[in-house]
Amino acid sequence: MSTNIFWQESPIGKTERQKLLNQKGCVVWITGLSGSGKSTLACSLSRELYTRGKLSYILDGDNLRHGLNKDLGFKAEDRVENIRRVGEVAKLFADAGLICIASLISPYRKDRDACREMMQGSSFIEVYMNMSLQLCEARDPKGLYKLARAGKIKGFTGIDDPYESPLNCEIELKEKEGECPSPVAMAEEVIAYLEDKGFLQNQ
Amino acid sequence: MEGLAIRASRPSIICSLPGLDGGSQRLPLSDGFLRLPTSSYAADKPKLVAKSASLHPISAVNVSAQASLTANFPALSETNVKEERINGDKNKPENIVWHESSICRCDRQQLLQQKGCVIWITGLSGSGKSTVACALSKALFERGKLTYTLDGDNVRHGLNRDLTFKAEDRTENIRRIGEVAKLFADVGVICIASLISPYRRDRDECRSLLPEGDFVEVFMDVPLSVCESRDPKGLYKLARAGKIKGFTGIDDPYEAPLNCEVVLKHTGDDDSCSPRQMAEHIISYLQNKGYLEG
Repeated sequence: MSTNIFWQESPIGKTERQKLLNQKGCVVWITGLSGSGKSTLACSLSRELYTRGKLSYILDGDNLRHGLNKDLGFKAEDRVENIRRVGEVAKLFADAGLICIASLISPYRKDRDACREMMQGSSFIEVYMNMSLQLCEARDPKGLYKLARAGKIKGFTGIDDPYESPLNCEIELKEKEGECPSPVAMAEEVIAYLEDKGFLQNQ
Repeated sequence: MEGLAIRASRPSIICSLPGLDGGSQRLPLSDGFLRLPTSSYAADKPKLVAKSASLHPISAVNVSAQASLTANFPALSETNVKEERINGDKNKPENIVWHESSICRCDRQQLLQQKGCVIWITGLSGSGKSTVACALSKALFERGKLTYTLDGDNVRHGLNRDLTFKAEDRTENIRRIGEVAKLFADVGVICIASLISPYRRDRDECRSLLPEGDFVEVFMDVPLSVCESRDPKGLYKLARAGKIKGFTGIDDPYEAPLNCEVVLKHTGDDDSCSPRQMAEHIISYLQNKGYLEG
């Protein structure tokens, strides 16, 4: 009887996918103030990885707030839920064998640490864009600091909401002698870390 | 403002088997994957060779999106970063806004030699969704294709762990899975979603998230009596005993698709409907539609 047959198939798992992609799945979590260069670094990193034949994907406010997280606002509990969901998706991507680049302000240490905890292992790489508020505000790429200073946005990170810098991140990128390193230089630093820890191969 | 894009004309694909890639030097593009070493992974099936790009080095082709860049902009670096000077003072870091063009979906498709899509397998509990998902992911893997399966296990305990089984949460469960599947498809992954997803409206909402053709609905057309006689998780028994309420097929409806891409109909004949054969049926569809090439 066909109904008594249980088909046995060993499933394709992370190991097989990593072998196929010749890389190890992980999450590169880029955190920092608005205007610190997170998206720029994410973009540069993704491109540098691509030239090495590595598959990566960027998760950021844009592709999430209008899709998966479109039901969330900016009140405190929604911000926590936003980060949680990004973390869960990043975890799925890492399981799929991808180098998932999450690029979000993610200002609260507790929320970032909860994502790290979720990854259960050494594949959470926290990158802190340690750029001064002065530099970020001078850039103000989206005009948000200006609005925040004028009181038109409340609870804006760095102005009237805290940014809690990481205590033990894997990579810290900062200005050197008043100069911000180029996106390519910063991407190379992240790549050197990934290479060193074995994420860019499958051995 | 458009950035300049430096886009490889074709990635070089080199097998990842040791000894074949000439060492670990950095290559212009991709020491990526092509097809698997078959010995460890293939079943006793004939080995299928994925279509490969011919092995020639790529040359980066400078594709300028803007012919009208002024002389004030510096020459581009080869990694495509354009430095825009604001206020004319190049020494002030805050006056520099970096513009990058990002890797797009088609770049990833080239790298993976496949097109991302969502295979949405729907049907009653016990109809064989997970079994087919498993067989499909294995068969695609043997062809060197990257898949990822979203199902109750990896989603209900993670992303959707805050959701219950009440009606609005069920809708939200499906919505979130649809959004995640969409992201996977954008990566270039063949994302297999395996869920009862009993309501037509919810499945159609997920379909509407994706570009035309990228949502492949697969209906496991298996009679309730067959599913119930299998009862792999013992749920029908509990539902019949009234211990589970609102169980699909017993006291909650299953709305069969009206226009799905693939129907896998139970015929009662094991030889013609093994999970592998059903997987191959889906694979033929994907092949015909061009999803198994870059």
